[in-house]
Parts: sequence; structure tokens; C-alpha cells
Amino acid sequence: MEYSPAVVRHFDAPHWARELPRDAPGLVSGDAEDRTLHVWIRFQLQLIDGVVRAVGFRAFGCPHTVAAANVVAEWLEGRSVAKARGIDVRGLCAHLTVPVEKLGKLLRIEDAVAACWRTYSQGS
Amino acid sequence: MSAAEIYLDYAATAPVDPAVSAAMADCLAREFGNPSSLHATGRRARQLVEAARAAVGARVGAPPERLVFTSGATESNNLALQGVLLRSRARRVHLVTSRIEHKSVLDVAHALEQGGVAVTYVDATPDGHVEPERVLEAITPDTQLVSIMHVNNETGVIQDVLAIGAGCRARGVLLHVDAAQSAGKVPLDLAAAPIDLCSLTAHKLCGPKGVGALYLAPRVTLVPQLHGGEQERSLRAGTLATHQILGMGKAYELADPAREAPRLAALRDRLWQALAGIEGARQNGDPGRRAGHILNVSFPGVEGESLRFALRDLAVSAGSACAADSPEASHVLTGMGRSDVLAGSSLRFSVGRFTAEDEIPEAAARVAAAVARLRTLAESAPMWCSA
Repeated sequence: MEYSPAVVRHFDAPHWARELPRDAPGLVSGDAEDRTLHVWIRFQLQLIDGVVRAVGFRAFGCPHTVAAANVVAEWLEGRSVAKARGIDVRGLCAHLTVPVEKLGKLLRIEDAVAACWRTYSQGS
Repeated sequence: MSAAEIYLDYAATAPVDPAVSAAMADCLAREFGNPSSLHATGRRARQLVEAARAAVGARVGAPPERLVFTSGATESNNLALQGVLLRSRARRVHLVTSRIEHKSVLDVAHALEQGGVAVTYVDATPDGHVEPERVLEAITPDTQLVSIMHVNNETGVIQDVLAIGAGCRARGVLLHVDAAQSAGKVPLDLAAAPIDLCSLTAHKLCGPKGVGALYLAPRVTLVPQLHGGEQERSLRAGTLATHQILGMGKAYELADPAREAPRLAALRDRLWQALAGIEGARQNGDPGRRAGHILNVSFPGVEGESLRFALRDLAVSAGSACAADSPEASHVLTGMGRSDVLAGSSLRFSVGRFTAEDEIPEAAARVAAAVARLRTLAESAPMWCSA
């Protein structure tokens, strides 16, 4: 398996792979998994005043999954909720050159982020 | 930024011993003759080939004339299975093998099945044994061949090929043994063993790649799989690669299981002692019946591909190097009852002649750091990620 320099960089130093404090104000969380693909993702978003103030994720998955989750988290942090909800995970991760057989794992990242938005919508 | 690589993948392949490469280089520079030629140049090459055949035979207890040189154990396995089972196309033919053989046996078995050969795949026990009773129970009146490897390439478990062979002899069935991981590493006395065909290779034993041999007991007949010459008693056509064969002979001459195996087992045990401190780490394969150079360990809670990538400065394998490009979990570990996830989170460490003692604690430290980092990354993951 070949890994692009971007995957190596994000896998080796995934700055957003962290746990946000559970009692942090405005915290929403979403999980997604696919057992056949051996992938599990949890995203946490801290949403305050219509802005994604902080992002954290946890991941059980391959290097492409970890790198993609980090790219997504990096992009989300600091965006307005309105813009963040329009996230295009595949487009955002195009530079990672994820092999086609792994694109299903990117969908799980989309699912985890979507789960966050659902929680946010239910709460607001 | 990356640390110097530590090589613990001797079960995949081994560095060529300098004495082997020197002998091969000398042969390439001086002896270009075709060993089948009758002139003096050819006869000198023939002498080198026969000396190598004698050295290989001496190491595995085989009369030299019972060895056929091939391009490696994969070809030897192909020749053994196809050569025996395609002898009699008219009658029903049956092969018995196990689910934890090397791909170079299993894929041949699958191909033979496509051609109408019946195949029984015997299950392994959770500790990696292929029980002789299960193998012998699978034999039918149509069985012509049983193929069981000596030392499993992923777990290092030593199969009881002597008991299997004795049972096969009593039933008039041939036994083929893939000894790619055992020859020169654990005792093997082919002439005294109830083994009819045995595959050997050079490169696992600090010899060159691209050369191996197939041992044939006196009563065994084969149909050749390569045509176009009468080399190797017409069993394997093609000009003999004198320098390769010489290199294999030198490698087998240098291999000394009595001296090397205890040192390798001590290195392996030190590695396990260091890795055992990692929470949840567990060995795969019966520690009481295992070749000294292989250690297979599962690290629950870490995803396998990420573990291997995080350890890219440590040369180890997920399983067979021959299946390294496959996304599928090790068929050996799943065949022993491990889940796909746990099989994926397993690493095969294999030590060898040039493994230094101080590399062992450093390797273990790198593994411990990678496992800790990936477990933190997957904190709160559901149970299936660890089971």
C-alpha cells in the first residue's frame, strides 16, 4: 500500500485526535462504524454562537481513515455552522489520494459528522 | 526523523550471507558453463552443481540424487502437488491439506479443484496445530497425496509431520511437506522420515532468491510441469543456474540448526518477554511446539494496517509476506479461530542470523509506543475493535 505525503503527515501528527471535555458547552458528538471495513469514527464538535469552536475525533481505522478524519476536523474548526454543514468530505480529502477500495471509509466519516449535525438540530 | 530500520522479517526473506554472495560472485565471474554440456567448461559447472546438491542433501538428510533443483519453494510446491495429482487423469483423485498452508499450496489446491481434483482442507486447532488424527481421518480410497507444511510460516508452529507421514505410509498415501521455514532451522532427516516429497528454498536461509529444490523419495513418480529439456532427470526442464544453485549449497552448508536455533529461540523469547508487558498482547501459536525464529503476537484494540504503518521503521509482517498486498486478514490466524480484526492486529516477528541482541528491546519499545498511540487514537472504540 502506498501512502501520499499528505496521508503520512496527517497520520503521524493528527492534531485533532483528541477528546473534548464532556461538560464543554455546546458539545455534540456522533459515531459511525463499519465492521466489515474495520472502521469506527467518533467526532465531537463544540458549537457556540453558530461557530464550530473546537473539534475532536477518535478513530479505529487505517492510515487513510485517520488522515482523512484529521483533514475534516482541521477544516471544520473555526467555520460557521452554516458553512460547516455543507462539508464535502470526498472533495476535501481528494489530495490524500485515498484508494477507491477505501472510499467507503470516508463515508463513515461523513456519517459521524452528520450524526453530530443531527444531535445539534435536535437540541436547537 | 525516522529511526534506523530494524529487520525482524527473516521468515519473509533473509539477508544473503556474505560468504554465500562471495561464492556466487566468484562463480559468476569464472564459471559460465552449461552444466549439461559435455566439454570441460560444462563439466566444471556440473561439478559445482553436484557439490551444491550434496551440501543441500547433507543438511536435510537426503541422498543428493533425490533432489531436483527448482526456482524456489513455490515452484517445488507446484511441482509436488500437480506432478503427483495430474499423473492419472482417468481416475478420481483426492488431496488432503490444511487450511493454514502457505498460499503456494492452497492456491495450487484451488486450481486443481477447478480441474476436478477433490480436496479436503483440514481445520487447525486454536493453537495452530494440524492434528495428525484429523489429517488421517480425511484420507479416502481416492487420496493420492497429503500436503502439510513442517513449520507454519506465520506462527512458527511445528506440525507433527512424522506422525502424519507414518499414517500416510500405512495407508499407501504420499506425503508432501513444505519445509521452506524449517530446513536448516529445525532438525530434518528426510531419508529417515516418512516423507515422500519435500519443498526446500534457499532465501530463508541466507541464500539467494530464485532457487530451491524438491526432494523425492525413491518410489515417487511425477509428471513434469516444465517441458523443454531433460535437466534434473527430465523432471524440471531449463538450463541449471549454476551460481544460484551454488549459492543454495553454500547457504545450506553454513546453516547449523544445532548452533543457531538456541540463539534465535533466546532472542525470540526475549522479544516476547518485552512485548508481554503490552496490555492484552497475546501469542498466536503453541509456544511449546514452535520453531525458534518466529513469534506471532496480537495487539487487540489497534487497527492492523495503521499498526504496520506506524511501525514502518520496523521490518515485520502482518502474516505471510507473499500475501502482504492483500487486504484480507491472515487465513492462518482466522483458520485458528481469530476474528478478522484480531488477525489484522497481529504481527509476525522473525529473527535470524544477523539479528543483534540490542535490536530486541528497541524493537519492543517501538511496538509498545505505536500500540499506545493507536489505542489512544481509538479510545472509547466499541468492543468489536478489540475482539
